Amino acid sequence: MFPVIVKLLLRRALLAVPLVLAVVTLTFFFIRMAPGDPASIMAGDAPTPEFLAQIRSDYGFDRPVWSQFLTFLGKAVTGDFGTSLYTKQPVFSVILERFPATVLMTGTAMIVASLIGIMVGVASAKRAGSRLDALISAASLVGYSVPGFWVGQLLILLFAVSLNWLPVGGMEAARASYHGWRHVQDVVWHMVLPVATLSVFLLTMIARFTRAAMIDALDQDYVLVAEAKGASRARVLWHHAFRKASVTTITVIGLEFGAVLAGAVVVEIVFSWPGLGRLFYDAIYRRDFPLLTGAFMFSSFIVIAVNAASDVACTLLDPRIRR
Amino acid sequence: MKGALLAKPASFAARSGWGTRLSSGLAGLRQSPVSTVVGVAFVAIVCFGTLFAPLLTPADPLALSADTLRPPGWAHPFGTDDLGRDGLARVLYGGRVSLSVGLFSAVLSVGLGMTIGMVAGFFGGALDEVLMRITEAFQILPKLLVAVVVVSLIGSGLANEILVIGILSWPATARVIRGRVQVIRHEEFIAAAEMSGASWVRVLARHVTPNVLSFLLVSAALQVASAIMAESFLSFLGLGDPAHPSWGLLLQQGQLFLQQAWWLTTFPGIALAMTILGLNLMGDGLGGSRAGGAGRR
Repeated sequence: MFPVIVKLLLRRALLAVPLVLAVVTLTFFFIRMAPGDPASIMAGDAPTPEFLAQIRSDYGFDRPVWSQFLTFLGKAVTGDFGTSLYTKQPVFSVILERFPATVLMTGTAMIVASLIGIMVGVASAKRAGSRLDALISAASLVGYSVPGFWVGQLLILLFAVSLNWLPVGGMEAARASYHGWRHVQDVVWHMVLPVATLSVFLLTMIARFTRAAMIDALDQDYVLVAEAKGASRARVLWHHAFRKASVTTITVIGLEFGAVLAGAVVVEIVFSWPGLGRLFYDAIYRRDFPLLTGAFMFSSFIVIAVNAASDVACTLLDPRIRR
Repeated sequence: MKGALLAKPASFAARSGWGTRLSSGLAGLRQSPVSTVVGVAFVAIVCFGTLFAPLLTPADPLALSADTLRPPGWAHPFGTDDLGRDGLARVLYGGRVSLSVGLFSAVLSVGLGMTIGMVAGFFGGALDEVLMRITEAFQILPKLLVAVVVVSLIGSGLANEILVIGILSWPATARVIRGRVQVIRHEEFIAAAEMSGASWVRVLARHVTPNVLSFLLVSAALQVASAIMAESFLSFLGLGDPAHPSWGLLLQQGQLFLQQAWWLTTFPGIALAMTILGLNLMGDGLGGSRAGGAGRR
């Protein structure tokens, strides 16, 4: 078993290489495509001549384009995304500082949404065509259609402003500084609304695709065989049918992870969550292009990695894909 | 033998004109599920409101007044913002911006997706392989974040938004159309057209296109919805055009006054959600009844 996994991981890693190259190439192309001198774009508004000259030599804008590209590529894949114009810190360390908050929120939302989404999707497929199924389908289409940031705004209006049950935003209480267990409770308290907001989109999508995949799986002959052999309902549902359907669910999570991360960006802005999303927002406002392109490349690498991981998981679940 | 008999109606259908296909689509609406009718109604309400905005409110969406941050009332049904601008007028005229960006980006992305999907599905082989790898790569990339970077670098403005969203959104259409073209590629009427000497351009335009039309309609409805969503995302991040405020831009302004003025986020959000939901319901309804579940991806 072990060598198979290693081989798979290696093959997936090799498939991700062209994607990473494509992201870096695109970013380079975007910077070059922007109107005006690329050095003055990367240097921000009203730079000093010395700073402009430094940017020119840092990025090699005085050298031929192909050589600039190779420098850019070399730096980007080693995590050197340049220096933030606003904070003057290396972009990569600014991103790493903010990344854990995003992982905490997005990760929790993904776990919550997967668990509920799968339960809902399976329940819906089990009673396909029933009134409950129709209700779930309608509700999930509504959830899929409503923009995430607006859901967040409505939740704030209801639970934070009107009812005053939950905090409006932030990651921890501003006035009190808690430690230990109280601090954990405080962060969880602040996480409820953003996680709920981000989960809506993901949950409805997982429910929709799981439902379709389960209906298809329940129709297979081996499910009939399992039932004929006297396997319990739960075993047929989860062990036989869901194992096949889970490949679809995981593929969807992998493919839509880019949209999830983009959703996290706006949800973080709505709830003033101190993660990558706020970084994007600040970078746009301050026209901090090294930070913006760095945060973009970093997020894209994460998306590519999650996609590769979901591919590996699918291959492990469904031996037929292994070939 | 049985297969050949079954293939015949398809070839007849291929010769019937586009007009009859559209009118049969409209006739199908009468037998559609409630959800499709609701979807059409939502979209119709929004289109009516934005098209006839001047008849529905005398207010100017950009005119400032001293009545700042007024809650909804008789004078201002949707309240006013921090500069005293009328909320109803801003939602109605904002719809013009959101819908135009959605519509034009969808035309661009469906056009691109249709061309790429048809070429890939029709020719197959290495060309198909290359085009599908590119499509997959495009689908994995975080589309909205790419749009954010490009629009910040080349500058905001409606034309740039339309271009960027349109160019980034073609893969969904391309995949659906490719799948459909692969199925009809081997139908008898295609072979007949090829044998009678029609060029591939003619075969694609005259014989393949009418058979993917219903898929294109589904794709277009879903694409308009996703483009409006993408536009609101860009505007919410501050990349909208302040001279042409869209629903996303209104929601961004509402965010600043979330705790003082609930009406600034509630009404534009309802309009936005109603439009996207309506289009998705229409797409699903068309997909379920005509295209046999073309899928949204």
